[in-house]
Amino acid sequence: MTSRRLPLEISAGQARLLEVDGLVMRYDTEAGEVSAVENVSFSLGRGESMGLVGESGCGKTSVALSLLRLAPENARYQSGSVLWEGMDLLELSDQEMREYRWAEISMVFQGAMNAWNPVYRVGEQIREAMDHHFDPPLSTVETSRRMDRLFNLVGLDPAVQNRYPHELSGGMRQRAVIAMALSCEPKLIIADEPTTALDVIVQAQILEELKEIQEDLGLSILYISHDMAVIAQVTDIIGVMYAGKLVEFGSTRDVFHGPRHPYSYLLLSSIPSVTGPRRRPVSLEGTPPNLLAPPAGCRFHPRCPWATEQCRTDEPPMMQIGPSQWAACWNSEQVPEMGEQLP
Amino acid sequence: MVRYVTRRLIQMVFLFLVFLTVTWFLLYILPGDSVALKYAGNPNIPPEAREVALERLGLDKPVLIQFRDYMFNFFQGDLGVSFNQYPRPVVDIIAERLPRTLVLFLAALVTYYWAGFLAGKYLAWRRGNRGEMLVTIGGVGLYSMFLPWFAFMMIWLFSVLLDWLPLSKFLDPEQWRDAPFRANQVFMRLFWVTLIASVALFASGFIARQTRSRRLGRTLRWGGGALAVGGFFFYWYGVDSGQVMRVYAGDIGFHMILPVLVLTLINFAGVMLLTRSSMLETLREDYILTARAKGLPERVVRDRHAARTALLPVATSLVLAVATVIDGGVITEAVFSWPGMGEILVSSVLSEDIPLAVGAFSFIGILALIGHFVVDILYGVLDPRIRVTEHG
Repeated sequence: MTSRRLPLEISAGQARLLEVDGLVMRYDTEAGEVSAVENVSFSLGRGESMGLVGESGCGKTSVALSLLRLAPENARYQSGSVLWEGMDLLELSDQEMREYRWAEISMVFQGAMNAWNPVYRVGEQIREAMDHHFDPPLSTVETSRRMDRLFNLVGLDPAVQNRYPHELSGGMRQRAVIAMALSCEPKLIIADEPTTALDVIVQAQILEELKEIQEDLGLSILYISHDMAVIAQVTDIIGVMYAGKLVEFGSTRDVFHGPRHPYSYLLLSSIPSVTGPRRRPVSLEGTPPNLLAPPAGCRFHPRCPWATEQCRTDEPPMMQIGPSQWAACWNSEQVPEMGEQLP
Repeated sequence: MVRYVTRRLIQMVFLFLVFLTVTWFLLYILPGDSVALKYAGNPNIPPEAREVALERLGLDKPVLIQFRDYMFNFFQGDLGVSFNQYPRPVVDIIAERLPRTLVLFLAALVTYYWAGFLAGKYLAWRRGNRGEMLVTIGGVGLYSMFLPWFAFMMIWLFSVLLDWLPLSKFLDPEQWRDAPFRANQVFMRLFWVTLIASVALFASGFIARQTRSRRLGRTLRWGGGALAVGGFFFYWYGVDSGQVMRVYAGDIGFHMILPVLVLTLINFAGVMLLTRSSMLETLREDYILTARAKGLPERVVRDRHAARTALLPVATSLVLAVATVIDGGVITEAVFSWPGMGEILVSSVLSEDIPLAVGAFSFIGILALIGHFVVDILYGVLDPRIRVTEHG
């Protein structure tokens, strides 16, 4: 386990809010052990927004769920820690963890339709979270005042709180989910594919609003997405995951303009550009590895055009490339420059 | 909503007419008739006597006239007189039998649904532990048991071998010899008092759910529960003190234990498996993850989020099962010598006692129709997604 923490220049001097350090998580399945998260380390400061990108099944949601300790029952943490303001969340008792959830870290789930229990009113489900977390409990008047503020904040009519989830449109539901995530004044919001199910216009509006709210309230947000455009738009730092491992990490600007890991390079090059010069989108050959038996050495080597003998046997550690960029690749200098400006 | 209910009520009346007509004709076209059955093979009865009997029962008239008269009388509340227990009115017989059946089978239904729902809820929640296999195998084993055999075994065990519980019947004739009430008075009283107490119990739990403050909720839940149970006992020991009806009510209750136990053991596994699969489906939903992420205690996630939604199909099957309360007990009533509706259903059909049979069946029909109606309304209450709107 090399290079445990990744301090970032852009957030130097700030107290670290969240430090994930060498996290290893496996799922016990009937077919064997699935290595879902392998030695992932990153840190996030107050007010920062970070993006975690990668293909489906690369472990980004497993990382997100680990922060709330909500991973399915068959998940096992083999090593590593999740430090929240210096305290290891993996060591807390279930009761202590429950008090942390939502009050410190809340979550905007993907597919907002299913995030709501169909049999209760929207307001009721938000109120439930507040009732469990404010101590001393808020008065009825204070709760409803707060609820109205929340709905105004996310651009919804406060009357929406008396509706049932199925009566709302997709965009409204997603906004209400954000209102729910904000209800207990958390310091960090995990946004797991927050806009995937929405059309692009609503998607842009919601991302814009999230960004404003984040700045107004000084929140940190961890975006989980496979959509590079979304991540580029809203994050300060970015982590690229492949097959359970963090392969590149750095400021969003640096990674998007000069990716140094072949996987991030190929991922970014596969997006055709509308404004830049015409070029053929590069395709990424092959499929992600079977995590029951991940390849030795660098997990990306079977699909990597620059793979060498060393990549097949030795696992590359995170290596510092620039002032605020790290990549886990033996041959990062061989990765070509991006052809043109990306959004 | 009002329009919907009105429309449904009109539909129900129409359906009931169809049901009644079909039942009447089905019973009418059975070969032979009540009189023939009674007098068959007896050469000493002259044909004239048969003629008189037929005429007295109105069986000599053309079939359509008989049917018209029956329907006409039915909707005036006159279900005719029983052929076999001539001239006892059918209404009388049903009024005597119905409460006994209702009290026994409703008690059993509520018990086994409650037990099945709780068991299913815990099975799904604690999935994969050691107890699960035991409860499932045990429950399904009982579920597939042949009811009469199992009932006899239970009677043999609890009444004969251990001598804890009465063998059969719904009361102890010795004790009732000088009783100042008729058994049906006691049944009706038992029915209403229990019903009111149960509704109060349910309502206090329901209101407690709606309250925001956890402390107030708890006070309401326990306070309301204590009030309902306390009220039940206060009724029998306080209000009723002069009449000592409680002794007789207690005797009936004592006779109900074994049948209720048998029905519960046999039936709870069905509800349990239904609840379990429904709950397992619910537990996979994203909103359960949301509820956990919100930091809600596991008990709240289980009861308020998972079980509440998993309740939907169980509630449907419960209300539909209510319709079977009257007829479902034919065998049970026979085994426990419980003189209820099941017994007259069989005997009236076998002896072609058309008025009594149609009368008894009509009550099953009414209950089934009401059951379906209640399901529709209840489903709307339980699941806001299909709540009927004014323009819907």
